[in-house]
Amino acid sequence: MSAADVPEVSIPDAGDPVAPESGAVPVLDVFDLTVGFGSAAKRAVRRSIPLQGIHLQVGAGERMALVGESGSGKSLTAAAVLGLLPDGAEVIRGSIRLDGEELIGAPERRLRDLRGGRMAIMFQNPRASLNPVLTVGGQIAEVIRVHGDAGRRESWTQAVDLLSEMGIPDAARRAKDYVHQYSGGMAQRAALAMALSCRPDLLIADEPTTGLDATLQQQVLELVVEQVTSRDASLLLITHDIAVARSHCERTTVMYAGRVMESGPTASVTGSPKNPYTSALLKAFGTVDQRRMYAIGGVVPTLIGELGECAFADRCPLAAPECREGVPDLRSVGDRRVACVKA
Amino acid sequence: MPLAIYIGRRLVFLVVALFGVSLITFVVTRVLPGNPAYLIVGVQADESTVEAVIERLGLDRPIVEQYGHYMRQLFTGDLGDSWRTKNPVTTDIGVRWPATIELASMAAIMAVAWSVPFGVISALRRRSLSDRLANVVSGIGVSVPEFWLGIILLLVFAFNLGFAPAPIGRTLGVVPPDVTGLYTLDSVIAGDWGALRSALAQLILPALTLAITTGAPLLRVTRGFMRETMSSHHIRSARALGIPERSIVLRHAVPNVLLPVSTMAAMMYGYLLGGTVLVEFVFAWPGIGKYAIDSINASDYAPVLAAVLLSACSYIIVYLIMDILHFIIDPRTRT
Repeated sequence: MSAADVPEVSIPDAGDPVAPESGAVPVLDVFDLTVGFGSAAKRAVRRSIPLQGIHLQVGAGERMALVGESGSGKSLTAAAVLGLLPDGAEVIRGSIRLDGEELIGAPERRLRDLRGGRMAIMFQNPRASLNPVLTVGGQIAEVIRVHGDAGRRESWTQAVDLLSEMGIPDAARRAKDYVHQYSGGMAQRAALAMALSCRPDLLIADEPTTGLDATLQQQVLELVVEQVTSRDASLLLITHDIAVARSHCERTTVMYAGRVMESGPTASVTGSPKNPYTSALLKAFGTVDQRRMYAIGGVVPTLIGELGECAFADRCPLAAPECREGVPDLRSVGDRRVACVKA
Repeated sequence: MPLAIYIGRRLVFLVVALFGVSLITFVVTRVLPGNPAYLIVGVQADESTVEAVIERLGLDRPIVEQYGHYMRQLFTGDLGDSWRTKNPVTTDIGVRWPATIELASMAAIMAVAWSVPFGVISALRRRSLSDRLANVVSGIGVSVPEFWLGIILLLVFAFNLGFAPAPIGRTLGVVPPDVTGLYTLDSVIAGDWGALRSALAQLILPALTLAITTGAPLLRVTRGFMRETMSSHHIRSARALGIPERSIVLRHAVPNVLLPVSTMAAMMYGYLLGGTVLVEFVFAWPGIGKYAIDSINASDYAPVLAAVLLSACSYIIVYLIMDILHFIIDPRTRT
C-alpha cells in the first residue's frame, strides 16, 4: 500500500521536544499514524481515512488525556496502538513506538506479549468486558500466567491481592465470583486489576467511567490515577469529557475527525485554546461562562476519501480561504502543538 | 433451594403439556377418516357385526366419554391395545422404542461430533475455507430431505461400494441377550463382538443420514453463536490483554457457545427420540416412528396416541434434563 493517496501532513518540527521530558524516550510515541478503512478494490475511490497523521507522545509517568467527540478516532487510535485494528482497517503509514520499540509491522507474537504485559487497556462498560462464564479472579490470574512464570496457585494469590488493592472488600471470596455478581463499579475495579496485573508501562483507559453512576465516576477515575501513579506507569485517558481531562491529566490532546487539533499541557490547552475547535469544544461543555447551552454548528465531515483541507473548516467561526488550501500542519506554538493556520 | 422449585414447576408443566397433547391427539385420531371396526372384523363383515364391534370398543359413545375412559386407563399405566398387532400397546412400544433410542442416540452423538467443532472452527475466520465449506455443507444438510439422503447413502455405500449391509432391520447376526434393549450396548455387556459389529453395521447408515440432516442446523447455530461471542467485548478485552488465541477460543469463547448450543442439541435429541419416521421407513428400522405410521394407516388409535404421548414426553424430559444441567453449569443461574 502506497502512502501516495493520502495527503501528507508535514511536520516541520517533528523533532521538536514538546514533551516536558525532553531527551527521554517517551513511553508511547505515535508519529504520523494514518489508518485506512475499506477493501483494496474500493480504496482508490472511496476509501475512508479515519485517522490521518496522528501525533501523540506520552512520557514516562505522564497522564495524557485524549479528548474528542464520538467518531473523532480516539478509540481507533487506542486499537492501533494495541495492534488490534478492526477487520478491514490497516495502518497506511506512520509509526507507533512503545518504549522506543516499533510496533507497526511487529510480529503478532511480540504484540501479544506486549499487550497486557507492557501496555494494557480497560474499556468502557466493564461488566461486558469480563467473561460471564469465568470467575473474575480466574481471568486476572490467567493474564498473570500468560505474561510471567507464575503457577496457578501463585497467580491466583496475586489476583486476589490485586483485587483487594483495587478496593474490593473480601477479595479472596469475591475472586471466586462471576461478573454478574459484581456491580458496575466493582467490575471496573476488577478490570483495572486485570489491566495492571503485569505492571504495564502504559495504561490506556478508554472511557472507563462511561456507563457508571455519576457518584462512582469520580471514585473510579481517582482510583485509576492513584494506581497508575503508584506504579510509575503512564496513562492515556480517552474521554469525551474535557472536564475529566482537566481534573486528572497534566497533558491533553484534542482530536477531531481523525486528526490531532491541539496538544499540550492541559492547563494551557483548556485555559487558552489556540485551535478554534478546542474553544468550541470547551464552550459546548459549558466550562466557559455562558447563559445558553452551546452547540457547534454543522456536522462532523464524512471521512470518505481524501480531505485536503482543515476538517473543521465547515464549522469553524474563523474559517478563511487559506483554511481550504490544505491540511493544516501540526505546528509548535508556544508550549504546545496546534493544527490551525490561524494559531 | 431454587433448583427444586424450578424442577417442580417444570414437572407441573410436563403434566399440563401431556394433558394437552393427549387431548389434541385424541380428537384428531377420532376425527380422521377410517373405521377401525372394519380392521377388526374384516371388510366383508355384515352391518350388524360391525355395529357390535363399534359398540364393544365404545366408539359409539360421545367423544368426551371416550376420552375420559382413555385417561382413566392411562393413569393405571394402560395405553390400550393395538387392534392391528393384537398386543397391548405397552408391549409393542417396549419392543420398538429401544430401536428408536439406539438410532436417535447414535445419530445425536454423530451430529454433535461433526457439527459443533465444525461450527466453532468455521466461525473463527469469515470467508475462510472452513467458513465456505460450512456454508455448502449446512446448506445441503438443511435442504436435502431425509428419505432421499437415506436412499442415496444406501445406494452408494450398501449397493455400489458394499461397505454397509442391506437395510433389513437392526442386526444381521444374533440378537444379544436383552439388558437395555439397545443392541450395541447389550452386545458390549455380553462381550459379543460379532453381534456388536453386526449391530453397528446396521446402525451406521440410518444414523449417518440423521446426523447429516440434524447436524446441519446445529452447525449453523454453533457458527452463529461463536461469531457473536468472538466479537463480544469480553473477547476483545482478553485479546487486548495478550491472552493467546488458543485460550481465547477454547477457554473464553467455547464455553459461552456451548450453553445455547447444548439446548439446541437437546431439542434435536428430543425430536429424534420421538421417532424418525422417514429414516425408519427407508432402512426398515423397527422403531417407534414406523410403528406410529403403520398404526395411523390402519386407523389403530391406541398406538398412535401412545406414540405421540411418548414423543412429547421424551422431548420435554430431555429438555428438562438439559435445563437442570444448565442450572448446574451456568454460573449466571446460580447466585
